[in-house]
Amino acid sequence: MAQPIVQTIHRDPALFWWILLPITVVMVLTGILRHYAMILLQTAPKKQTLPQIRQQRSLVRGINLRTNARVLPPASFQARKAFMVSAYQEGKFLADPEARGKPRPNPMSDPAAMEGMMGMMKGNMAMMVPQTLIMGWINAFFSGFVIMKLPFPLTPQFKSMLQSGVGTRDLDVRWVSSLSWYFLTLFGLQPVYNFILGSNNSATQSTQQMAANPGAGMMGPEQDPDKLFLSEAENLEVLEYRWVLEGVEDRLVAKFA
Amino acid sequence: MSHANLLAPPSSIPPPTALSLSQKAPLILSSSPTSSLPWPLSLLFSRESPESWTIHENLLLSSLRTGDDKAARQILDRLTTRFGAANERVVALRGIYEEALATTPAELEKVFQGYEKILREDPTNLAVRKRRVAVLKSLGRPADAITALTVLLEHSPTDLEAWAELGELYAAQGLWSQAIFCLEEVLLVLPNAWSAHAQLATLYYLSTPSSLSTLSLSLRYFCRSIELNDSYLRGYYGLKLASQKLIPLLSDSTSVKRNNNPEEEEAGPPPKLATVKKLEELATSKLAEIVRQYGAGNKGWAGLDEAEVIAARALLDRDGKMER
Repeated sequence: MAQPIVQTIHRDPALFWWILLPITVVMVLTGILRHYAMILLQTAPKKQTLPQIRQQRSLVRGINLRTNARVLPPASFQARKAFMVSAYQEGKFLADPEARGKPRPNPMSDPAAMEGMMGMMKGNMAMMVPQTLIMGWINAFFSGFVIMKLPFPLTPQFKSMLQSGVGTRDLDVRWVSSLSWYFLTLFGLQPVYNFILGSNNSATQSTQQMAANPGAGMMGPEQDPDKLFLSEAENLEVLEYRWVLEGVEDRLVAKFA
Repeated sequence: MSHANLLAPPSSIPPPTALSLSQKAPLILSSSPTSSLPWPLSLLFSRESPESWTIHENLLLSSLRTGDDKAARQILDRLTTRFGAANERVVALRGIYEEALATTPAELEKVFQGYEKILREDPTNLAVRKRRVAVLKSLGRPADAITALTVLLEHSPTDLEAWAELGELYAAQGLWSQAIFCLEEVLLVLPNAWSAHAQLATLYYLSTPSSLSTLSLSLRYFCRSIELNDSYLRGYYGLKLASQKLIPLLSDSTSVKRNNNPEEEEAGPPPKLATVKKLEELATSKLAEIVRQYGAGNKGWAGLDEAEVIAARALLDRDGKMER
Protein backbone atom coordinates (compact mmCIF):
# COMPACT_ATOMS: atom_id res chain seq x y z
CA MET A 1 0.00 0.00 0.00
CA ALA A 2 2.07 2.89 -1.25
CA GLN A 3 -0.56 5.58 -1.15
CA PRO A 4 -3.21 5.75 1.54
CA ILE A 5 -6.61 5.87 0.01
CA VAL A 6 -8.22 9.24 0.41
CA GLN A 7 -11.71 8.84 1.70
CA THR A 8 -14.27 11.02 0.06
CA ILE A 9 -17.75 11.49 1.41
CA HIS A 10 -20.19 13.47 -0.57
CA ARG A 11 -21.83 15.79 1.87
CA ASP A 12 -24.86 17.86 1.27
CA PRO A 13 -23.72 21.52 1.25
CA ALA A 14 -26.83 22.30 3.25
CA LEU A 15 -25.14 20.55 6.21
CA PHE A 16 -22.97 23.61 6.64
CA TRP A 17 -25.90 26.01 6.72
CA TRP A 18 -28.26 23.89 8.79
CA ILE A 19 -25.97 22.20 11.31
CA LEU A 20 -22.48 23.65 11.58
CA LEU A 21 -23.53 27.27 11.62
CA PRO A 22 -26.55 26.88 13.95
CA ILE A 23 -24.52 24.95 16.53
CA THR A 24 -21.79 27.58 16.52
CA VAL A 25 -24.18 30.51 16.72
CA VAL A 26 -26.21 28.89 19.50
CA MET A 27 -23.06 28.18 21.49
CA VAL A 28 -21.81 31.76 21.19
CA LEU A 29 -25.18 33.19 22.12
CA THR A 30 -25.51 30.86 25.13
CA GLY A 31 -22.13 32.05 26.36
CA ILE A 32 -23.15 35.68 26.10
CA LEU A 33 -26.49 35.00 27.74
CA ARG A 34 -24.79 33.12 30.56
CA HIS A 35 -22.42 36.05 31.09
CA TYR A 36 -25.32 38.43 31.61
CA ALA A 37 -27.28 35.89 33.66
CA MET A 38 -24.29 35.55 35.99
CA ILE A 39 -24.16 39.31 36.44
CA LEU A 40 -27.82 39.31 37.40
CA LEU A 41 -27.46 36.32 39.74
CA GLN A 42 -24.48 37.73 41.57
CA THR A 43 -25.28 39.02 45.00
CA ALA A 44 -23.30 41.97 46.24
CA PRO A 45 -20.59 40.87 48.66
CA LYS A 46 -21.77 41.14 52.20
CA LYS A 47 -20.51 44.16 54.07
CA GLN A 48 -18.08 43.50 56.87
CA THR A 49 -18.84 44.87 60.26
CA LEU A 50 -16.42 47.23 61.95
CA PRO A 51 -14.90 44.61 64.30
CA GLN A 52 -14.36 42.29 61.35
CA ILE A 53 -12.54 45.01 59.42
CA ARG A 54 -10.45 45.65 62.51
CA GLN A 55 -9.63 41.96 62.90
CA GLN A 56 -8.53 41.58 59.31
CA ARG A 57 -6.53 44.80 59.07
CA SER A 58 -4.79 44.16 62.38
CA LEU A 59 -3.55 40.90 60.97
CA VAL A 60 -2.36 42.71 57.84
CA ARG A 61 -0.59 45.22 60.09
CA GLY A 62 1.31 42.40 61.76
CA ILE A 63 2.26 40.97 58.38
CA ASN A 64 3.43 44.41 57.26
CA LEU A 65 5.52 44.72 60.39
CA ARG A 66 7.10 41.35 59.71
CA THR A 67 7.89 41.98 56.04
CA ASN A 68 9.02 45.59 56.36
CA ALA A 69 10.65 45.51 59.80
CA ARG A 70 13.94 46.60 58.29
CA VAL A 71 12.84 50.24 57.96
CA LEU A 72 12.41 50.70 61.72
CA PRO A 73 15.13 51.64 64.16
CA PRO A 74 15.80 48.83 66.68
CA ALA A 75 14.06 50.47 69.63
CA SER A 76 10.79 51.13 67.84
CA PHE A 77 10.84 47.72 66.22
CA GLN A 78 11.22 45.96 69.57
CA ALA A 79 8.42 48.05 71.09
CA ARG A 80 6.07 47.28 68.22
CA LYS A 81 6.96 43.61 68.24
CA ALA A 82 6.29 43.29 71.94
CA PHE A 83 2.96 45.06 71.60
CA MET A 84 1.77 43.09 68.59
CA VAL A 85 2.83 39.71 69.98
CA SER A 86 1.11 40.23 73.31
CA ALA A 87 -2.01 41.66 71.69
CA TYR A 88 -2.19 38.76 69.28
CA GLN A 89 -1.73 36.22 72.04
CA GLU A 90 -4.40 37.81 74.17
CA GLY A 91 -6.74 38.00 71.19
CA LYS A 92 -7.25 41.74 71.50
CA PHE A 93 -8.11 42.22 67.86
CA LEU A 94 -10.63 39.40 67.58
CA ALA A 95 -14.00 40.40 66.20
CA ASP A 96 -15.71 37.91 68.47
CA PRO A 97 -13.67 37.40 71.65
CA GLU A 98 -16.21 35.04 73.20
CA ALA A 99 -15.83 32.50 70.41
CA ARG A 100 -12.15 32.14 71.21
CA GLY A 101 -11.01 28.62 71.87
CA LYS A 102 -14.37 27.14 70.95
CA PRO A 103 -14.49 24.69 68.07
CA ARG A 104 -15.56 26.02 64.71
CA PRO A 105 -19.31 25.96 64.19
CA ASN A 106 -20.69 23.78 61.47
CA PRO A 107 -20.36 25.74 58.21
CA MET A 108 -23.81 24.50 57.21
CA SER A 109 -25.38 26.43 60.08
CA ASP A 110 -23.51 29.64 59.34
CA PRO A 111 -25.70 31.83 57.12
CA ALA A 112 -22.70 33.66 55.64
CA ALA A 113 -21.07 30.42 54.54
CA MET A 114 -24.39 29.18 53.19
CA GLU A 115 -24.63 32.27 51.05
CA GLY A 116 -21.25 31.62 49.52
CA MET A 117 -22.25 28.07 48.73
CA MET A 118 -25.48 29.26 47.19
CA GLY A 119 -23.49 31.55 44.95
CA MET A 120 -21.39 28.65 43.76
CA MET A 121 -24.50 26.54 43.24
CA LYS A 122 -26.04 29.25 41.13
CA GLY A 123 -22.94 29.46 38.99
CA ASN A 124 -22.88 25.73 38.47
CA MET A 125 -26.58 25.66 37.64
CA ALA A 126 -26.18 28.43 35.08
CA MET A 127 -23.50 26.26 33.50
CA MET A 128 -25.24 22.87 33.72
CA VAL A 129 -28.78 23.65 32.64
CA PRO A 130 -28.03 25.17 29.23
CA GLN A 131 -25.35 22.54 28.55
CA THR A 132 -27.82 19.73 29.18
CA LEU A 133 -30.47 21.35 27.03
CA ILE A 134 -28.13 22.04 24.11
CA MET A 135 -26.65 18.59 24.22
CA GLY A 136 -30.12 17.08 24.21
CA TRP A 137 -31.07 19.28 21.29
CA ILE A 138 -28.04 18.23 19.29
CA ASN A 139 -28.54 14.56 20.09
CA ALA A 140 -32.17 14.72 19.07
CA PHE A 141 -31.74 16.52 15.77
CA PHE A 142 -28.20 16.20 14.52
CA SER A 143 -26.83 12.93 15.89
CA GLY A 144 -24.76 10.92 13.50
CA PHE A 145 -24.05 13.67 10.99
CA VAL A 146 -20.56 14.12 9.67
CA ILE A 147 -20.45 17.81 9.10
CA MET A 148 -16.94 18.87 8.19
CA LYS A 149 -13.48 17.75 7.23
CA LEU A 150 -10.43 19.18 8.88
CA PRO A 151 -7.85 20.49 6.40
CA PHE A 152 -4.96 18.71 8.17
CA PRO A 153 -4.24 15.07 9.06
CA LEU A 154 -4.47 13.78 12.62
CA THR A 155 -3.45 10.65 14.50
CA PRO A 156 -6.12 8.04 15.36
CA GLN A 157 -6.09 9.09 19.06
CA PHE A 158 -8.32 12.00 18.15
CA LYS A 159 -11.01 9.66 16.86
CA SER A 160 -12.95 9.59 20.10
CA MET A 161 -12.72 13.35 20.38
CA LEU A 162 -13.79 14.23 16.86
CA GLN A 163 -16.23 11.50 15.97
CA SER A 164 -18.38 10.93 19.02
CA GLY A 165 -21.82 9.84 17.99
CA VAL A 166 -20.62 8.25 14.76
CA GLY A 167 -20.01 4.53 15.15
CA THR A 168 -17.86 3.94 12.10
CA ARG A 169 -14.48 2.35 12.74
CA ASP A 170 -12.79 2.97 9.40
CA LEU A 171 -13.72 6.59 8.98
CA ASP A 172 -10.71 8.90 8.62
CA VAL A 173 -10.00 10.96 11.75
CA ARG A 174 -10.32 14.19 9.81
CA TRP A 175 -14.08 13.93 9.62
CA VAL A 176 -15.86 15.72 12.47
CA SER A 177 -19.26 14.74 13.75
CA SER A 178 -21.90 17.19 14.95
CA LEU A 179 -21.70 16.17 18.60
CA SER A 180 -17.92 16.61 18.55
CA TRP A 181 -18.31 20.02 17.01
CA TYR A 182 -20.48 20.87 19.97
CA PHE A 183 -17.75 19.82 22.41
CA LEU A 184 -15.09 21.69 20.47
CA THR A 185 -17.10 24.90 20.61
CA LEU A 186 -17.93 24.31 24.26
CA PHE A 187 -14.27 24.31 25.26
CA GLY A 188 -12.78 26.47 22.54
CA LEU A 189 -14.91 29.60 22.52
CA GLN A 190 -13.13 31.45 25.34
CA PRO A 191 -11.14 33.72 22.95
CA VAL A 192 -14.35 34.58 21.12
CA TYR A 193 -16.01 35.57 24.39
CA ASN A 194 -12.95 37.57 25.34
CA PHE A 195 -13.32 39.42 22.09
CA ILE A 196 -17.02 40.10 22.50
CA LEU A 197 -17.42 40.56 26.25
CA GLY A 198 -14.04 41.75 27.45
CA SER A 199 -11.41 39.78 29.29
CA ASN A 200 -13.04 39.06 32.64
CA ASN A 201 -16.30 37.62 31.46
CA SER A 202 -18.10 34.77 33.14
CA ALA A 203 -19.18 32.97 30.00
CA THR A 204 -17.34 29.73 30.65
CA GLN A 205 -16.86 27.55 33.65
CA SER A 206 -13.15 28.10 34.24
CA THR A 207 -13.28 31.83 34.87
CA GLN A 208 -16.50 31.40 36.78
CA GLN A 209 -14.94 29.12 39.34
CA MET A 210 -12.08 31.46 39.99
CA ALA A 211 -14.46 34.32 40.57
CA ALA A 212 -16.50 32.24 43.02
CA ASN A 213 -14.21 32.77 45.99
CA PRO A 214 -11.94 35.78 45.68
CA GLY A 215 -9.32 36.21 48.33
CA ALA A 216 -10.33 33.14 50.26
CA GLY A 217 -6.71 32.47 51.10
CA MET A 218 -6.24 35.49 53.32
CA MET A 219 -8.94 35.10 55.87
CA GLY A 220 -11.66 32.99 54.45
CA PRO A 221 -14.64 31.99 56.52
CA GLU A 222 -13.18 28.53 56.92
CA GLN A 223 -10.15 29.72 58.91
CA ASP A 224 -10.09 30.46 62.59
CA PRO A 225 -8.85 34.04 63.06
CA ASP A 226 -7.45 33.23 66.48
CA LYS A 227 -5.17 30.57 65.01
CA LEU A 228 -4.02 33.01 62.34
CA PHE A 229 -3.18 35.59 65.00
CA LEU A 230 -1.26 33.05 67.09
CA SER A 231 0.79 31.87 64.15
CA GLU A 232 1.52 35.45 63.16
CA ALA A 233 2.69 36.17 66.70
CA GLU A 234 5.03 33.21 66.42
CA ASN A 235 6.32 34.46 63.08
CA LEU A 236 7.02 37.86 64.59
CA GLU A 237 8.87 36.35 67.51
CA VAL A 238 11.28 34.36 65.40
CA LEU A 239 11.85 37.18 62.93
CA GLU A 240 15.45 37.86 62.09
CA TYR A 241 15.76 41.63 62.28
CA ARG A 242 18.22 43.84 60.47
CA TRP A 243 18.06 47.60 60.23
CA VAL A 244 18.40 48.86 56.69
CA LEU A 245 19.64 52.26 57.84
CA GLU A 246 22.71 50.81 59.47
CA GLY A 247 25.72 52.16 57.63
CA VAL A 248 23.56 53.94 55.08
CA GLU A 249 25.79 57.00 55.20
CA ASP A 250 28.83 54.93 54.24
CA ARG A 251 26.87 53.28 51.44
CA LEU A 252 25.86 56.67 50.10
CA VAL A 253 29.39 58.03 50.22
CA ALA A 254 30.64 54.92 48.43
CA LYS A 255 27.92 55.25 45.82
CA PHE A 256 28.78 58.82 44.90
CA ALA A 257 32.54 58.56 45.39
CA MET B 1 5.19 72.27 34.68
CA SER B 2 4.65 68.56 34.82
CA HIS B 3 2.22 67.11 32.34
CA ALA B 4 -1.36 67.29 33.60
CA ASN B 5 -3.37 64.13 33.28
CA LEU B 6 -6.92 63.58 34.45
CA LEU B 7 -6.52 59.83 34.78
CA ALA B 8 -3.82 59.94 37.42
CA PRO B 9 -3.41 63.37 38.94
CA PRO B 10 -0.41 63.67 41.25
CA SER B 11 -1.29 63.79 44.91
CA SER B 12 -0.48 67.47 45.20
CA ILE B 13 -0.89 69.44 42.03
CA PRO B 14 0.22 73.06 41.76
CA PRO B 15 -2.54 75.61 41.08
CA PRO B 16 -1.80 76.16 37.37
CA THR B 17 -2.08 72.43 36.71
CA ALA B 18 -5.35 72.23 38.60
CA LEU B 19 -6.65 75.13 36.54
CA SER B 20 -5.68 73.52 33.27
CA LEU B 21 -7.32 70.28 34.39
CA SER B 22 -10.56 71.94 35.38
CA GLN B 23 -10.68 73.82 32.08
CA LYS B 24 -11.30 70.47 30.42
CA ALA B 25 -14.66 70.29 32.17
CA PRO B 26 -16.87 71.71 29.38
CA LEU B 27 -15.43 69.28 26.88
CA ILE B 28 -16.02 66.25 29.11
CA LEU B 29 -19.41 67.43 30.25
CA SER B 30 -20.58 67.95 26.69
CA SER B 31 -20.44 64.21 25.92
CA SER B 32 -22.32 61.76 28.06
CA PRO B 33 -20.46 58.59 29.04
CA THR B 34 -23.67 56.57 29.29
CA SER B 35 -25.58 55.84 26.14
CA SER B 36 -29.01 57.37 25.60
CA LEU B 37 -30.25 54.43 23.55
CA PRO B 38 -32.83 51.97 24.97
CA TRP B 39 -31.66 49.06 27.05
CA PRO B 40 -30.32 46.25 24.83
CA LEU B 41 -28.72 48.68 22.41
CA SER B 42 -27.14 50.72 25.18
CA LEU B 43 -25.16 47.64 26.21
CA LEU B 44 -23.65 47.39 22.76
CA PHE B 45 -22.95 51.04 22.01
CA SER B 46 -21.83 52.47 25.34
CA ARG B 47 -18.49 54.17 25.54
CA GLU B 48 -18.42 53.83 29.28
CA SER B 49 -15.24 52.51 30.83
CA PRO B 50 -13.86 52.49 34.37
CA GLU B 51 -11.50 55.25 33.29
CA SER B 52 -14.32 57.58 32.38
CA TRP B 53 -15.48 57.60 35.99
CA THR B 54 -11.97 58.14 37.32
CA ILE B 55 -11.78 61.14 35.03
CA HIS B 56 -15.08 62.43 36.38
CA GLU B 57 -13.91 62.07 39.96
CA ASN B 58 -10.64 63.90 39.38
CA LEU B 59 -12.39 66.57 37.36
CA LEU B 60 -14.76 67.14 40.24
CA LEU B 61 -11.86 67.71 42.61
CA SER B 62 -10.03 70.09 40.27
CA SER B 63 -13.09 72.12 39.44
CA LEU B 64 -13.89 72.51 43.13
CA ARG B 65 -10.35 73.70 43.64
CA THR B 66 -10.63 76.31 40.94
CA GLY B 67 -14.06 77.47 42.07
CA ASP B 68 -16.00 76.08 39.12
CA ASP B 69 -18.90 75.01 41.31
CA LYS B 70 -21.39 74.70 38.47
CA ALA B 71 -19.32 72.12 36.63
CA ALA B 72 -18.72 70.32 39.92
CA ARG B 73 -22.46 70.13 40.55
CA GLN B 74 -23.03 68.66 37.08
CA ILE B 75 -20.33 66.03 37.54
CA LEU B 76 -21.67 65.14 40.95
CA ASP B 77 -25.18 64.72 39.53
CA ARG B 78 -23.82 62.45 36.86
CA LEU B 79 -21.99 60.30 39.38
CA THR B 80 -25.11 60.15 41.53
CA THR B 81 -27.34 59.01 38.68
CA ARG B 82 -24.82 56.39 37.66
CA PHE B 83 -23.93 54.89 41.04
CA GLY B 84 -26.83 55.89 43.26
CA ALA B 85 -26.92 58.33 46.12
CA ALA B 86 -26.06 55.69 48.71
CA ASN B 87 -22.75 54.66 47.14
CA GLU B 88 -19.88 55.17 49.59
CA ARG B 89 -17.69 57.09 47.20
CA VAL B 90 -20.51 59.26 45.99
CA VAL B 91 -21.44 60.09 49.58
CA ALA B 92 -17.85 61.15 50.27
CA LEU B 93 -17.63 63.18 47.07
CA ARG B 94 -20.89 64.95 47.84
CA GLY B 95 -19.43 65.72 51.26
CA ILE B 96 -16.37 67.29 49.63
CA TYR B 97 -18.64 69.35 47.39
CA GLU B 98 -20.68 70.60 50.34
CA GLU B 99 -17.55 71.38 52.32
CA ALA B 100 -16.17 73.40 49.42
CA LEU B 101 -19.38 75.38 49.14
CA ALA B 102 -19.67 76.07 52.85
CA THR B 103 -18.51 79.61 53.54
CA THR B 104 -19.16 80.07 57.23
CA PRO B 105 -18.25 77.87 60.20
CA ALA B 106 -21.97 77.38 60.82
CA GLU B 107 -22.42 75.82 57.39
CA LEU B 108 -19.42 73.59 57.95
CA GLU B 109 -20.95 72.58 61.24
CA LYS B 110 -24.04 71.51 59.32
CA VAL B 111 -21.97 69.36 56.98
CA PHE B 112 -20.34 67.87 60.04
CA GLN B 113 -23.73 66.97 61.52
CA GLY B 114 -24.58 65.30 58.21
CA TYR B 115 -21.47 63.13 58.49
CA GLU B 116 -22.35 62.19 62.06
CA LYS B 117 -25.74 61.03 60.85
CA ILE B 118 -24.26 58.92 58.04
CA LEU B 119 -21.80 57.34 60.46
CA ARG B 120 -24.52 56.46 62.96
CA GLU B 121 -26.28 54.52 60.21
CA ASP B 122 -23.18 52.90 58.73
CA PRO B 123 -20.13 52.96 60.99
CA THR B 124 -17.99 51.18 58.38
CA ASN B 125 -17.95 54.06 55.91
CA LEU B 126 -14.27 54.97 56.25
CA ALA B 127 -14.33 57.59 53.51
CA VAL B 128 -16.91 59.62 55.43
CA ARG B 129 -14.90 59.16 58.61
CA LYS B 130 -11.95 60.77 56.87
CA ARG B 131 -14.10 63.63 55.60
CA ARG B 132 -15.23 64.15 59.18
CA VAL B 133 -11.61 64.54 60.25
CA ALA B 134 -11.07 67.04 57.44
CA VAL B 135 -14.04 69.12 58.60
CA LEU B 136 -12.78 69.06 62.17
CA LYS B 137 -9.43 70.28 60.90
CA SER B 138 -10.92 73.14 58.92
CA LEU B 139 -13.10 74.06 61.88
CA GLY B 140 -9.88 74.56 63.81
CA ARG B 141 -10.31 71.71 66.26
CA PRO B 142 -7.09 69.70 65.84
CA ALA B 143 -7.47 67.90 69.16
CA ASP B 144 -10.84 66.50 68.09
CA ALA B 145 -9.42 65.63 64.69
CA ILE B 146 -6.64 63.67 66.38
CA THR B 147 -9.15 61.77 68.52
CA ALA B 148 -11.27 60.97 65.49
CA LEU B 149 -8.23 59.73 63.60
CA THR B 150 -7.06 57.53 66.45
CA VAL B 151 -10.51 55.93 66.56
CA LEU B 152 -10.34 55.37 62.81
CA LEU B 153 -6.87 53.86 63.03
CA GLU B 154 -7.90 51.64 65.90
CA HIS B 155 -10.29 49.97 63.50
CA SER B 156 -8.29 50.21 60.33
CA PRO B 157 -4.63 50.15 61.35
CA THR B 158 -3.26 49.78 57.81
CA ASP B 159 -4.69 53.03 56.50
CA LEU B 160 -1.78 54.93 55.00
CA GLU B 161 -3.57 58.22 54.46
CA ALA B 162 -4.85 58.32 57.98
CA TRP B 163 -1.44 57.60 59.52
CA ALA B 164 0.19 60.32 57.43
CA GLU B 165 -2.54 62.79 58.32
CA LEU B 166 -2.29 61.95 62.01
CA GLY B 167 1.47 62.39 61.85
CA GLU B 168 0.99 65.83 60.34
CA LEU B 169 -1.51 66.82 63.02
CA TYR B 170 0.77 65.65 65.82
CA ALA B 171 3.70 67.49 64.28
CA ALA B 172 1.64 70.67 64.08
CA GLN B 173 0.99 70.30 67.82
CA GLY B 174 4.67 69.75 68.49
CA LEU B 175 4.14 66.18 69.70
CA TRP B 176 7.21 64.86 67.92
CA SER B 177 7.47 61.33 69.23
CA GLN B 178 3.83 60.61 68.37
CA ALA B 179 4.33 62.07 64.91
CA ILE B 180 7.43 59.93 64.45
CA PHE B 181 5.47 56.84 65.45
CA CYS B 182 2.82 57.63 62.81
CA LEU B 183 5.38 58.14 60.08
CA GLU B 184 7.02 54.84 61.00
CA GLU B 185 3.65 53.16 60.45
CA VAL B 186 3.52 54.76 57.01
CA LEU B 187 6.95 53.31 56.28
CA LEU B 188 5.80 49.87 57.37
CA VAL B 189 3.18 49.91 54.65
CA LEU B 190 5.30 51.62 52.01
CA PRO B 191 8.89 50.68 52.87
CA ASN B 192 10.41 52.33 49.81
CA ALA B 193 8.69 55.71 49.91
CA TRP B 194 11.49 58.24 49.77
CA SER B 195 9.17 61.10 50.60
CA ALA B 196 8.05 59.35 53.80
CA HIS B 197 11.69 58.75 54.71
CA ALA B 198 12.44 62.44 54.22
CA GLN B 199 9.38 63.41 56.24
CA LEU B 200 10.45 61.16 59.10
CA ALA B 201 13.94 62.63 58.92
CA THR B 202 12.47 66.12 59.08
CA LEU B 203 10.50 65.18 62.18
CA TYR B 204 13.64 63.86 63.88
CA TYR B 205 15.49 66.98 62.83
CA LEU B 206 12.81 69.25 64.27
CA SER B 207 12.15 67.27 67.45
CA THR B 208 15.36 67.81 69.42
CA PRO B 209 17.63 69.95 67.35
CA SER B 210 20.74 69.57 69.49
CA SER B 211 20.79 65.88 70.42
CA LEU B 212 23.45 63.83 68.72
CA SER B 213 21.39 60.65 68.44
CA THR B 214 18.27 62.19 66.91
CA LEU B 215 20.37 64.23 64.51
CA SER B 216 22.24 61.17 63.35
CA LEU B 217 18.94 59.32 62.93
CA SER B 218 17.69 62.25 60.88
CA LEU B 219 20.85 62.19 58.80
CA ARG B 220 20.43 58.47 58.21
CA TYR B 221 16.84 58.80 57.09
CA PHE B 222 17.79 61.58 54.69
CA CYS B 223 20.57 59.33 53.38
CA ARG B 224 18.09 56.52 52.88
CA SER B 225 15.69 58.73 50.96
CA ILE B 226 18.53 59.80 48.66
CA GLU B 227 19.57 56.20 48.29
CA LEU B 228 16.05 55.41 47.11
CA ASN B 229 15.84 58.40 44.76
CA ASP B 230 19.12 60.04 43.89
CA SER B 231 17.64 63.22 42.45
CA TYR B 232 15.39 64.06 45.38
CA LEU B 233 15.83 67.74 46.14
CA ARG B 234 14.26 67.63 49.59
CA GLY B 235 16.56 64.78 50.60
CA TYR B 236 19.68 66.74 49.69
CA TYR B 237 18.35 69.87 51.33
CA GLY B 238 17.73 68.04 54.58
CA LEU B 239 20.99 66.15 54.35
CA LYS B 240 22.86 69.43 54.11
CA LEU B 241 21.05 70.94 57.09
CA ALA B 242 21.43 67.84 59.25
CA SER B 243 25.10 67.36 58.45
CA GLN B 244 25.82 71.04 59.07
CA LYS B 245 24.39 70.66 62.55
CA LEU B 246 26.15 67.36 63.16
CA ILE B 247 29.67 68.46 62.24
CA PRO B 248 30.23 70.76 65.24
CA LEU B 249 28.63 68.20 67.55
CA LEU B 250 30.88 65.44 66.28
CA SER B 251 34.05 67.52 66.32
CA ASP B 252 33.33 68.35 69.93
CA SER B 253 34.68 65.13 71.40
CA THR B 254 33.10 65.58 74.84
CA SER B 255 29.59 65.41 73.45
CA VAL B 256 30.37 62.14 71.72
CA LYS B 257 31.58 60.60 74.93
CA ARG B 258 28.70 62.01 76.91
CA ASN B 259 26.29 60.08 74.76
CA ASN B 260 27.15 56.71 76.13
CA ASN B 261 23.89 56.19 77.97
CA PRO B 262 22.09 53.00 76.84
CA GLU B 263 18.96 54.67 75.50
CA GLU B 264 20.82 56.54 72.84
CA GLU B 265 22.96 53.64 71.81
CA GLU B 266 19.83 51.96 70.48
CA ALA B 267 20.06 54.01 67.31
CA GLY B 268 23.52 52.68 66.56
CA PRO B 269 26.85 54.46 66.91
CA PRO B 270 26.95 58.03 65.61
CA PRO B 271 28.31 58.44 62.09
CA LYS B 272 31.98 59.22 61.57
CA LEU B 273 33.01 62.84 61.22
CA ALA B 274 34.74 62.31 57.88
CA THR B 275 31.67 60.64 56.42
CA VAL B 276 29.39 63.45 57.52
CA LYS B 277 31.75 66.00 55.99
CA LYS B 278 31.73 64.10 52.74
CA LEU B 279 27.95 63.90 52.80
CA GLU B 280 27.73 67.62 53.36
CA GLU B 281 29.95 68.26 50.34
CA LEU B 282 27.90 65.84 48.30
CA ALA B 283 24.64 67.53 49.25
CA THR B 284 26.05 70.97 48.47
CA SER B 285 27.32 69.96 45.06
CA LYS B 286 24.08 68.15 44.19
CA LEU B 287 21.96 71.09 45.29
CA ALA B 288 24.13 73.45 43.25
CA GLU B 289 23.73 71.20 40.24
CA ILE B 290 19.96 71.03 40.62
CA VAL B 291 19.67 74.81 40.99
CA ARG B 292 21.91 75.35 37.96
CA GLN B 293 20.06 72.86 35.76
CA TYR B 294 16.69 74.26 36.77
CA GLY B 295 17.85 77.81 36.12
CA ALA B 296 19.08 76.81 32.68
CA GLY B 297 15.62 75.49 31.89
CA ASN B 298 16.90 72.00 31.21
CA LYS B 299 14.04 69.74 30.17
CA GLY B 300 14.72 66.82 32.47
CA TRP B 301 14.72 69.04 35.53
CA ALA B 302 11.60 71.03 34.76
CA GLY B 303 9.39 68.81 36.92
CA LEU B 304 10.73 70.29 40.15
CA ASP B 305 8.67 72.49 42.39
CA GLU B 306 9.78 76.08 41.90
CA ALA B 307 9.45 76.99 45.57
CA GLU B 308 11.74 74.11 46.55
CA VAL B 309 14.41 75.22 44.08
CA ILE B 310 14.24 78.78 45.38
CA ALA B 311 14.64 77.50 48.92
CA ALA B 312 17.64 75.44 47.87
CA ARG B 313 19.20 78.44 46.20
CA ALA B 314 18.65 80.53 49.33
CA LEU B 315 20.29 77.84 51.45
CA LEU B 316 23.31 77.75 49.16
CA ASP B 317 23.58 81.55 49.13
CA ARG B 318 23.42 81.75 52.90
CA ASP B 319 26.08 79.10 53.11
CA GLY B 320 28.31 80.92 50.66
CA LYS B 321 28.09 84.14 52.70
CA MET B 322 29.10 82.38 55.87
CA GLU B 323 32.18 80.94 54.25
CA ARG B 324 33.23 84.28 52.82
